[in-house]
Amino acid sequence: MRWRRLKAIAVKEVLQIWRDPRSLMIALLLPFTQMFLLGYGVNLDLKHLPVCTFDREGSQLSQALFKHFQASQYFTIARNVTSYAELTAAIDDATCGFAIVVPPDFSERLNDTGSAPVQAILDASDDNTANLALGYATAVVAGYSADVQLHWFDRQGRPLQQIEPMTVQSRVWFNEDLESRNFIIPGLVAVIMALVGAQLTSLTISRERERGTMELLVSTPVKPVELMFGKLAPYLVLGWLDAAFCLVIAALWFAVPFRGTLVALFLTTTLFLVAVLSIGYLLSVLIRSQVGASQIALVVTMLPTVLLSGYVFPIDQMPTVVQDITYLLYSRYYVTILKAVFLKGSGILELMTPILFLAVYASAVMILAARSFRKRLD
Amino acid sequence: MNAGQPAEPRIIAEDLVKRFGSFVAVDHVSFRVGRGEIFGFLGPNGAGKSTIIRILCGLLRPSAGRALVAGIDVARDAERVRERIGYMSQKFSLYRDLDVEENLKFFGGIYRVPRAELGERIRFAIDMAGLGGREHALVSNLAGGWQQRLALGCAVLHRPPILFLDEPTSGVEPASRRRFWDLIHALAADGVSVLVSTHYMDEAEYCHRAALINQGRLIAVGSPEELKNTALGGDLLLLECEMLGPTLAALQSAPGVLDCSVFGNSLHVLVGSAERSLRELPDYLAQRRLPPTRLVRIQPSLEDVFVQLIAVDSAKRRAA
Amino acid sequence: MFERIIAIIIKEFIELRRDNSARFRLIVPTILQMLLFGYAATYEVYHVSTAVLDLDHSQESRELLSHFTASNRFDVVEEARSQRDITAAIDRSDAAVALVIHAGFAELLRKGRSAPLQVIVDGTNSNTALIALGYVNAIAANFAKDYATDLAQRISGTAGARQVQVVLEQRPWFNPDLNGRWFFVPGLIGTLTLVIVVNLTAFAIVREREVGTLEQIMVSPIRPVEFILGKTVPFFVIGLFQVALIVAVGTLWFQVPFAGNPLVLVLGSVLFLLSTLALGLLISTLCSTQQQAFSLNFFILNPFFILSGFSFPISSMPQVLQWLTYVNPLRYYLVVIRGTFLKGVGLGVLWPELAAMAAIALILLATSILRFRKSLE
Repeated sequence: MRWRRLKAIAVKEVLQIWRDPRSLMIALLLPFTQMFLLGYGVNLDLKHLPVCTFDREGSQLSQALFKHFQASQYFTIARNVTSYAELTAAIDDATCGFAIVVPPDFSERLNDTGSAPVQAILDASDDNTANLALGYATAVVAGYSADVQLHWFDRQGRPLQQIEPMTVQSRVWFNEDLESRNFIIPGLVAVIMALVGAQLTSLTISRERERGTMELLVSTPVKPVELMFGKLAPYLVLGWLDAAFCLVIAALWFAVPFRGTLVALFLTTTLFLVAVLSIGYLLSVLIRSQVGASQIALVVTMLPTVLLSGYVFPIDQMPTVVQDITYLLYSRYYVTILKAVFLKGSGILELMTPILFLAVYASAVMILAARSFRKRLD
Repeated sequence: MNAGQPAEPRIIAEDLVKRFGSFVAVDHVSFRVGRGEIFGFLGPNGAGKSTIIRILCGLLRPSAGRALVAGIDVARDAERVRERIGYMSQKFSLYRDLDVEENLKFFGGIYRVPRAELGERIRFAIDMAGLGGREHALVSNLAGGWQQRLALGCAVLHRPPILFLDEPTSGVEPASRRRFWDLIHALAADGVSVLVSTHYMDEAEYCHRAALINQGRLIAVGSPEELKNTALGGDLLLLECEMLGPTLAALQSAPGVLDCSVFGNSLHVLVGSAERSLRELPDYLAQRRLPPTRLVRIQPSLEDVFVQLIAVDSAKRRAA
Repeated sequence: MFERIIAIIIKEFIELRRDNSARFRLIVPTILQMLLFGYAATYEVYHVSTAVLDLDHSQESRELLSHFTASNRFDVVEEARSQRDITAAIDRSDAAVALVIHAGFAELLRKGRSAPLQVIVDGTNSNTALIALGYVNAIAANFAKDYATDLAQRISGTAGARQVQVVLEQRPWFNPDLNGRWFFVPGLIGTLTLVIVVNLTAFAIVREREVGTLEQIMVSPIRPVEFILGKTVPFFVIGLFQVALIVAVGTLWFQVPFAGNPLVLVLGSVLFLLSTLALGLLISTLCSTQQQAFSLNFFILNPFFILSGFSFPISSMPQVLQWLTYVNPLRYYLVVIRGTFLKGVGLGVLWPELAAMAAIALILLATSILRFRKSLE
C-alpha cells in the first residue's frame, strides 16, 4: 500500500464532494434536520387519548367516574354520545380510540351487590396503544372504586378497613420516568447514521463505472486496498460530523440523559461508521449500475435498520430465527451500544461484546470489498 | 471575410451570447444557414460549438441575441422548432439496452411519424445506416461507427428539414467517417439544412460553408475555397533551407512577411504578395548568409488556415 | 398525445425486460422483507427475561413466583442469591425484570398486613417496561385477591367483609386478543410499498439525464405531460404487481383477517401507489444526478415512515408534527389499510383519506410536470 496513491484518491474524492454542493448539503444538513424533526415524532407515550363517554344512567356516580378520566393526563373526553350507533361511528372513524359505557342499572347494582361493571370499548387495531390505555384505565377505575368505597363506609359510619394483602413496590432503572423518547432517540441516531453512511459510499464505485472514469483508474497501478481506504477516508470525516450533530442534538436538545463517557462514544461511533461505510463500498463494488446499487443499499439498510435493530421493536420479543438474523445487521450493535452508553453509562469494558462484533464485522466487510474489487471493466 | 448570405435562410443566429456565470461561452455570434446547405462548425474543444447548437435546439437559453430556426424564434417557441429539427448530441444518447429497431420505433413514436409511414421510414433509416441484418442487435453491442449512423437514422426518422449534428464523427474510424459524410451529403441534396460541428479540421472540406470558432467567437466564415484563398489575408510560401532556426528569426523582420512558422523541416511564410516576396526574399536571406534551397508558392490547406487564424486570434486576445 | 406516451411505455418495458437482475430485485427482497419484518414488528411483550431473589423461602413466596412462571409473560432466567446478583443481571441486560421477595414476606401476609413485592425494571425500553409492569401488577393483584379470599374464609368461615368495587370490563374491538401482528402486518404492506415504489421511480428520469438519453428526448417535440405520464404507467403496473405480492404474503402467511370490502382496499392501494409514484418522479425531476436522487430518497423515506403512524401514534406527536403528517400519503393509506383489514369500514368512513391521497397524487404529478423543463439548465 502506497501512501501517495491513497492520498491522491482521497484528495480526488474530497474535491468531488466539494464540487457537488447539493450532495454535500444533503449529507450534512439532512441528518441535522431529521434529528430535530423526528426527535419529536418518536414517541410511544400515551397522552390525552380521545375518549367517548356513553352514560346510560346519568347519575352523580357515573358523572364522577368521567371526572376521574378527565383528570387523568392519559385521557381527554372528546365526545359524549347517547347511543351505541354514535359510539360505533366514533370508534370507526377513529375520532375516539376508547369508549366508556356506564350501564343503566349502575348505581342499583352497586347498592345491591356491591359490585358494578363499567364497560371499556376500545379500538384495539393498534394493540400497543390499546394495551397501554387499558392499563391506565384500570388504574383510573381502581382509584374511582376506592373513592366509592371510602364514601360508602363513611355513610354507614363503619371504620375504614382496607384489605390490601400485598403491595408491589416497583423501581425503574436507567430510564426512571419511563419516557419512550429517552430510549428511542439514541436508536434514532443509529438509524440516521446507518442511512447516512450507506448512502455516502454505496454509489462511489458504480458512479465511476457509469461515467467511464473507472477505465482510467484501473489502468493505473493503484491497488484495490488503496482505492478503498482513499475513498473511505473523506467519508469517515463527513460521518464524524454527522454523528456529532446527531449526538449533540440528542443529548442537549432532547435532553436524553447521557451517562457514559465521550471516549466510549467516539470509539464505538468510529467503529460503526467504518462498518457502515465499508458496507456501502462493498455494495458499490459488487453492483454495476447505480440504480441497482442504490436499490440494494436501500433494501439492506433502510427497513432492516428501522425494524430489526431493536430501535423500537425489542429484539428479544422476535422469533429465534429472526433474532439470529439480526446478528447480521450492523446497526443492531450500534443501537445496543448507544442505548447503553446514554442511559446505563456503560463503558468500553461492559460493551466489549457488541464492540468485538462490530470490529469483526467491519474487518470482514473490508476484506471482502478489497478482494472482490477486480481491476477489470467487464 | 465573406459571410455569404444564403437566399433562403433556415437557421439565423444574430448576436448570440451565452454566459455561464462570468464565463462567456458564446460571444456575439451571427450566421445564417440556407436550405440544403451543409454548414460546418470548426474549432478546438471548448470553443463553444456545442453550446451554440444547444441554444439552437432550445436546450439552453441565450443570454442575449436571437436565434431563428425554420423562421421560429427558439427562445419563444422551442416546441415548434423541435418538430422541425433532428439532433445528434455529442454524447451518444440512444438507449443502449434497446435494440436497433426498438430505438427507431421509440423515436418514431416520440416524433409521431404516421403509422403508415413508419415501417418505410425505419427501413430507410436502417438502409441508410447500413444496419440491414442487425435490426435486433442491442445497441450496446454495436461498434462506434454503427452507433453513430443509427443515431443519425433516429434523428432523420421524422424527415426534419433541419439537422443539428454535434461532433457526430468523434471517435469514429476514418472509413466510417467518410461514409457518414456521404450520408450527410445525400440528405443535403434532398434539401435538408445541416449544421454540423467537428474538431477534425479536414472534415471542413466536406462542408458547403464552414465557420471557425475560437473561444466563443466566430473568427472566419466561408466556403472551403474562400477560406483557403482569402482567410489568411495573404499568400503562403514554402521555404526550405539549411538552418531553420536562424532563418525563422531573420524572416520575422523581413519586409512583406506577415508571419512565419515551422512546418515539418521547412517553413511556411505568410506574405502580403507572393509575387513580390518570391522576387525579394531570396536576396534578403542570401545577404544574411541563409540562402533558401527552395522557395515556392503553395495552396494552403484548411488546416494551415485554421492553425494560423487560431494562433493569430489567441495572440490578439492575450494582447487585449 | 397517446402515441408518444405509448412509445415511452413500450420503451420502459423493453428496458425492464432486458434488465435481468431487476426481476430478481423486484420480487425476492420484497417477499423476504415482508416475511422477516412481519415477525419483527411487534410491541407485544412475552417471555420477559426475569431474575428472582427469594429471601423468604416460604410456601407463600414460592406460590407467588409460580404465578409468574405459569404465565407466558415472564421467563425466569436467573435465581439470584443476593441483591448484588440482581443488580448485575440487570446491568448486563441478562434480565429485564427482577422480582425480590424479602424475608418475612409470608409472616406479614399471614398477619393480614401488607407484604411488599419488590420489582426492579430495566426502563431502557420504556414501552416494554411499562407493559411488563402492567403484567406484574396484574399477576400480583390476582395473587393478592386469591390470598385475601382464602384468608378471610379461614378466619371467619364466610366470604369475608363486604367489598364495594367498580370493575372495568374490557371489550377490545377489531383485535380482541390484542395481537400485535394484526396491527403491524397491514402497516408493513403500506411501508414496504412506499419504500419500494419511491425507490423505483426516483431514478426514472434522473438516470436518463445522467446517461444522456434525456437530451435526445428533450430536442423532440414531446410535451412534459406526455413524458411524465409515459413514465408513470409502466411503474404503476410494476407497483401494482408489488402491492399484490405484498398483500398476498401479508394476508396468506400471517393470516391477518380481512374484514372489509376488497374493492375499497384496491381503490386505496391504487391511489396510494399513484401518490408514491408521483413522489418518486418529483424526486427524479428535481435531481441532476443519481447520487442526489439516492440521498434525497433516503432522507425523504425516513420521515415519511416515522411520521405515518406506523409505529409511533400520531396523536402522541406535538401539534406541528401532526400537521406535517397531513402531507404524508402513507399516513392516509395506513388508515385505509388498517380500516379495511381490521375494522371492516368502507367508503363512508374512509372517503376523506382516499380523497387526500388523490389530491396528493394530483399535486405531486402536476408539480413534476411543471418542474420538468425541457432544458439543460
